Amino acid sequence: MAPENWRLLLEGLRLTLWLSLTSIAISLVIGTLIGVLRVSPIAPLRVVATGYVELFRDIPLLIVLFFIFLGLPKAGLRFDPIQSAVVGLSVYTAAFVAEVVRAGLQAIHYGQIEAARALGLTYIQMMRYVLLPQVFRNVVPPLGTVFIALVKNTSVASAISVPEVMLQAETIEGRTFNPYSFLIAGLLYLVLTVPLSALVNAAEQRLRTHRAT
Amino acid sequence: MMDTALAPPVTRPLRRRLALRLPEGWQALLGALIVLGLIPILFRMDPARFKPFFYDIQASGTLAERPFTGEWWWAWRFLANGLGTTVLVALLSILLSLPLATVFALLRLSAPLPLRIPAVLLIEGIRALPVLLFIWFTFRFLARQGVELAVMWPVVIALTLYTTVVNAETLRAGILALPTGQMEAARSLGMSYFQAMGYVILPQTFRHMLPPLIAQFVTLLKDTSLGYIVGLRELTRHAEILYQGQRNPMETIYVVALIYFILNYLLGQLALWVHRRLD
Repeated sequence: MAPENWRLLLEGLRLTLWLSLTSIAISLVIGTLIGVLRVSPIAPLRVVATGYVELFRDIPLLIVLFFIFLGLPKAGLRFDPIQSAVVGLSVYTAAFVAEVVRAGLQAIHYGQIEAARALGLTYIQMMRYVLLPQVFRNVVPPLGTVFIALVKNTSVASAISVPEVMLQAETIEGRTFNPYSFLIAGLLYLVLTVPLSALVNAAEQRLRTHRAT
Repeated sequence: MMDTALAPPVTRPLRRRLALRLPEGWQALLGALIVLGLIPILFRMDPARFKPFFYDIQASGTLAERPFTGEWWWAWRFLANGLGTTVLVALLSILLSLPLATVFALLRLSAPLPLRIPAVLLIEGIRALPVLLFIWFTFRFLARQGVELAVMWPVVIALTLYTTVVNAETLRAGILALPTGQMEAARSLGMSYFQAMGYVILPQTFRHMLPPLIAQFVTLLKDTSLGYIVGLRELTRHAEILYQGQRNPMETIYVVALIYFILNYLLGQLALWVHRRLD
């Protein structure tokens, strides 16, 4: 492949990495919030959070991106393609993060909640100082799986003309008529996803030995 | 489970006042409908822009691709056509993937090393890559080879490939979850390995793995929307044709999101129902 095409792919890789990291950070914040609301003792909040999770699990990411990129300008909210991709990927992935956080919260022993409340901590303090720190340690492996899916999902942003790896591969294929450019793009995705899944496995291993002792 | 709240006993009185006695599935539906109801208000959607879904669209002109009937349900029928392709592609992919997935699961579980290593590499490699990449590669590769196929087939092939490796892992987990006594009993009755698999192990595995297989079908239905990118005329593409004619992208995409939601919500509930019946 010509050096020019390598340059395009590497630029795409940089953007894919940037999209992934930004969306991981934002979806972690939104997802934790929704996950906490998902087990809230206040029923209306719990219902809306449950609905949010159900909704984004049932709608394709492409539709979410189209709604943000093509639909929202009609409501006066104009995002450029990269901003649309970050917003779309974040609100979509937040639903999956929320489920992981909820499972982590419900896995914590009831005694912890009773002890925290007996010490006079409010619900919010209990979440912040007792439950969430434990949750985040336990949910590293499933969160990693969610974020691997996020890295792969950044490829969908090519549909709204974000010049990430997939779109660059399409451009190169259109120019060179060589479909193997997609496989080279695939290698670049592996560069991102394989270390991530190795990290997930290592975290899982550590947790297992930690629990065993 | 009745209710997912993490309420400590000390707040019982408060909790009783706010308790909502709704099963999880209904809670999810109610919540999703609230969120879906808030979206048009939040983004100030104009009811008039939903026109093609409720009124005669004769006045706003025709869409070039089909003879125009002028009936109010025209837009719905057009979307239903697209939905038909979406469901067809997803069904074909999952049905084609099942036999392949069984082969891959068995290769990974019990084949000799020279066969097992490529199977493991293939499964792990494909799972680490985006589905869209396979759709593009299959589509362009077949085109460059001069193979003339409807655009549906590259999409079906790519989705089948991806679903195969995911289902292979599901089936492998299902086989491993069975008590080893099942295999031992079958073998000691004089069955060969394949007879034991075919008559004893796999029928039980498929039964137990029905809920995750239905869940995978939901993922697949969502992934067929990626076929839009290579020009497959499924639900998303039909929505695009509609809103390009009507200039109402926000409202049309909203309606299509609703269609995906209803379909996948029902499938998700089906998976839960099957799961409860199996227990």
